[in-house]
This record gives sequence, C-alpha cells and structure tokens, in this order.
Amino acid sequence: MEKTKGKIKYLGELLRNKEISCQELTTKYLESINQDNGKLNAYVSVTEQEALDTAKAVDKKIASGEELSPLEGIPMTLKDNISTKDIETTCCSKILQGYVPIYNATVWDLLKSQNAVLLGKTNMDEFAMGSSCETSCFGGANNPHNLAHVAGGSSGGVASAVGGNIAAYGLGSDTGGSIRQPASFCGLVGLKPTYGAVSRYGLIAYASSLDQIGPITSTVEDAALVFDAISKKDPMDSTSQGGAEPTLAKLNQDIKGLKIGVAKEYFEGVRDDVKKALEQSIKTYVSLGAQIVYFDLPVLKYALPVYYILACAEASSNLGRYDSIRYGYRTDENYHSIHEMICKTRSEGFGKEVQRRILLGTYVLSSGYYDAYYKKAQRLRGAVVKAFQNAFQSCDVILTPTVPMTAFEQGFSSKDQIETYQTDICTVPINIAGLPAISIPCGFDSKGLPIGMQLIGNTFCESTILNAAYQFENACANQIYKNVDLGVKL
Amino acid sequence: MITREEIQNIAILSKLFIDENELDTLTQDMAQIITFADTINTAVEELEDFEDINNLSNVFREDEVLPSYDRSLILKNVDGGENGYFPVKKRV
Repeated sequence: MEKTKGKIKYLGELLRNKEISCQELTTKYLESINQDNGKLNAYVSVTEQEALDTAKAVDKKIASGEELSPLEGIPMTLKDNISTKDIETTCCSKILQGYVPIYNATVWDLLKSQNAVLLGKTNMDEFAMGSSCETSCFGGANNPHNLAHVAGGSSGGVASAVGGNIAAYGLGSDTGGSIRQPASFCGLVGLKPTYGAVSRYGLIAYASSLDQIGPITSTVEDAALVFDAISKKDPMDSTSQGGAEPTLAKLNQDIKGLKIGVAKEYFEGVRDDVKKALEQSIKTYVSLGAQIVYFDLPVLKYALPVYYILACAEASSNLGRYDSIRYGYRTDENYHSIHEMICKTRSEGFGKEVQRRILLGTYVLSSGYYDAYYKKAQRLRGAVVKAFQNAFQSCDVILTPTVPMTAFEQGFSSKDQIETYQTDICTVPINIAGLPAISIPCGFDSKGLPIGMQLIGNTFCESTILNAAYQFENACANQIYKNVDLGVKL
Repeated sequence: MITREEIQNIAILSKLFIDENELDTLTQDMAQIITFADTINTAVEELEDFEDINNLSNVFREDEVLPSYDRSLILKNVDGGENGYFPVKKRV
C-alpha cells in the first residue's frame, strides 16, 4: 500500500474489486484485536456481532452489484464517550459502568447509515479528563510505537487502535487537544473541526463550549473522507452549524503562495528534537512555495489557565447529572438519605482527577471567586479569539508543534499535575478560539517516537488545513510514517 | 491560600464526600492548581465581556409536541424501574 494513499480508499477498493469480502476483512480485524488488544489496551468493549452483521449486509450489497459509499464496510471504532444505542457506553468511568444508551450519537447515526463496521468502543481518560489515557478506570492505552509509553489522551484508545492497526479509523473527541495529542503521540492524523462543524448530540459532555468530535486516521485523505461524512447541521445540537465545505475534492490544490503563520511563543519550552523537526517542516513548506509569516501571540501565556478554569467550571455543571438515580453505578444500600446516596455514589464512582476538576469548577463558580476566575477567564477567552482573528488577517494557516514533547512514559502524569497540564499548551488555545486544527506526523525523536505538527485554520476552513497537510504528507511520506509490527496483515 | 474548611465546603456543593485522610493532600493539590489559575490575574490587557464562540445565537421554534422515547426505554437502565418510576430505597 502506498504511504499517502488513504487506508479507507485502499480497503474500499479491495471490497469493490472482490479481493476480500467484508466478512473476511472484519474477521481479520477481530482476530487482530483478539491477538493485540492485550498489549495495547485500546478497546474497552468489542462489538463482534454488530460488526459481523453489518459486514454481512455489505457483502450482500456487493453481491447484488450495488454501489458502495466511501465508508461502507470499513472496520472502525468509536471513543467510549460517543453514545451507541444498545451498546454499553462508559466514558471509562466506574460511575457509568453498565450504562446502555437508548439512542445513537448523531455522528454514529451518520456513519452507521453508510454501513460503517463498528469493531468496538475504545479507551479514554475518564470523562475525557487527562492527557495520557491513564485516568481510565480500565487502565491506560499503550503506544503502538513503544508499549512502555502512553498512547496519549484523552482519545488514547482510538489512537492506539488505529496506530496498532486494529481499526482502520476512529472517532474521538477534543476538548483541549484530546484528538490531536494522541494522534501526535501515535504517528497519526487527528482533526479537531471548527466548533459547530460536527454535531455533538450523543457525545457525553465534558465542557460543552469546547468539545468537538473528529477523526483519528492513518492519512490525511482518510481524515478528509471521514470529516466530510460527519460534518452536517443537526437540529439536535443547537451549536451545530454544519456548513463546512466538502474537503476531499479540494486536497490537490497547489499551495504556492499559501501564507503560513509562525508565532515564537508557540516554540518556547518545546523540546529540541521536536523544534528541529518543526524547523525542517517549515523548510519543506518553503520548498513547496509557501510563504512564512512571523507574528506575536503574547496572549498565549494565559490560554492554559483560562482553559482549566472554563473547562472545569463547565464540567462541574455537566457532571452534576450523575446522581445514580436514572442510570449508572449506585453505592450499596448503606445510606440514610438521598443526599448521602448521591454523595457516596459520586465519591466512589468518579476517579480522583474527575473529582479534582469538579471541585476546581465549583470553586471558580462559587460566590466570591466567580469574578476573579470564571468571569476573568471568559474575558481572556475573548482576547484569545481576537488574537487569532488578527493573526488570520495576515496568514492562511498557523503552524505549531502539536505537543512540546513526544509520548511520555507510563506514570509521568501522576507525578506532577501542573507539568502534565502544561503539555496541552499548544492545543488548548484552539478549543478556546473554536478553530479547526489538524495534527500530522512530521518526524521521529531519538527513541523512534513520532513527532506531531499542528496546522490551525480559520473557522470553517477545514479544507485549507487538510490540503496543506496533504501537500506536506505527499512531499515527505517516507520520513513521517513508520509501520508498526502489530495488527491486521492483509 | 485555600483551606481545608473551604475544600470541605466546596465538596458539599459538589455532592462529594472527601475522606478525612485525603483532605490534606487534596488541599495541597488544589492550592497548587489555584496558584496556577491565578496567572490570569496578572493580565493587564484591556478586556471586553465575552458572550459566546462563533457568533452563535439561540434558535427558536414553535413548541410542538413531537414523539419521544417510550417510558419502558427510559427505565431500561434501572432494570425496568418499579411501577413506571425510578426506584430508590425508602430512607425516612
């Protein structure tokens, strides 16, 4: 398989040319999950029957000569915070163990209507709160490039599955970098769409003004294909605007004259090998005819605390619904009032990081602290939005590292909380500003771990960043992709 | 600096029980996070109020009754419920 030829298109051609049946393809993926999931801990549930039933329906269509849509019959996965009717959805939290949604998230309805083959639900930081997947109640997902390192977070399971080739692609969610960071750590492409481009109906909420669903894939073409399938206006999500133009058809545009913005603040505190890979990437873009525009982004220094204040405030409200009365885990019968039952359930059901974030959120919203923290953070959010709007007056795309480092070793995030939060410095400003951004591999560190580059676009300009990423991928595919010795062998 | 008592108070508002043994460590952790959050109070930039992202506005529609989920489905996650209700043990 050619490096930049999309995996989805490649598998689709195999199906259309009858080189493999959809049931055979699905069985190969299920066997690989059986063989490799013990090492990767990517899946928290496997939906074998659902996958085989869909595969059978696809084979029937192929046999009757019907046309297949692009995602039809392709084995994939969903992060475990995306609601799936009749399939357990836990957010990797004890408090939701056993919870079976009675409806589908809109993104899953859209993919299911194309006969996407769901292999199972994947691991994540509990309620998407974390950068390493280690806050999952199922234990963290491992990095297919080096199992002693984390897959990243919070969508670590999707990245581990796609990187380890036990899913062709997956959907994650991104509140502060949770698609882009694991994609960067696992040598994959991760797209966080514009706020409002993809419906969040059925996505279990963490911070509603920041959350977005997007694809984690092996190549840029795959990301464009999946994004086009899920970017639709949805009456069930009042923030959904759809409206992003189809991106796949626009992947072959010349980038001569494309203005790429680079802000020095984005390179402060970045590890040397990451910086070097990024400098090399800038040179590649120059050789492709792009112009580099340097600008300042001083407001960046406030982005991280602003993010943690706003995200935790929203989480403290969103997670108020877990009272154990209507679904999920409930404490044993040793309580004397409903209040005690709810408090005991929540203290036993939520992990430590989730409790810490609920407490911080309650604190910044409480009387006496609201103005100093929440209100001030909201106003600074406005300043971040404005700073990016100004930057896009003089450039089309902004280039940054995705993460200042490569995948950290297991256990890193439990040592110093603030240091772990700081690894999100490059990704959180994008959620604050509601912009689209893509992470694409741009090299390897001395240990052979992937390095990610982030391309940020103006609102609803997904096609601009996907095309810029695609041109880069074509120019240096052999330097940025490395196959790992796991998963499906076709 | 945030105190043990403040943490206990916030925990009540958050409907969480904090174990006495964990209170000191949690107070330290929270103090560290709040110091980090305090960075925003060093901002000297002129700031305006911020309403929402991407100029979203409310979408209103006629209040029409649309089909909803069947009660038996809603009660599915509590083993079907009891007489059409969510059951909790009597504790009064």
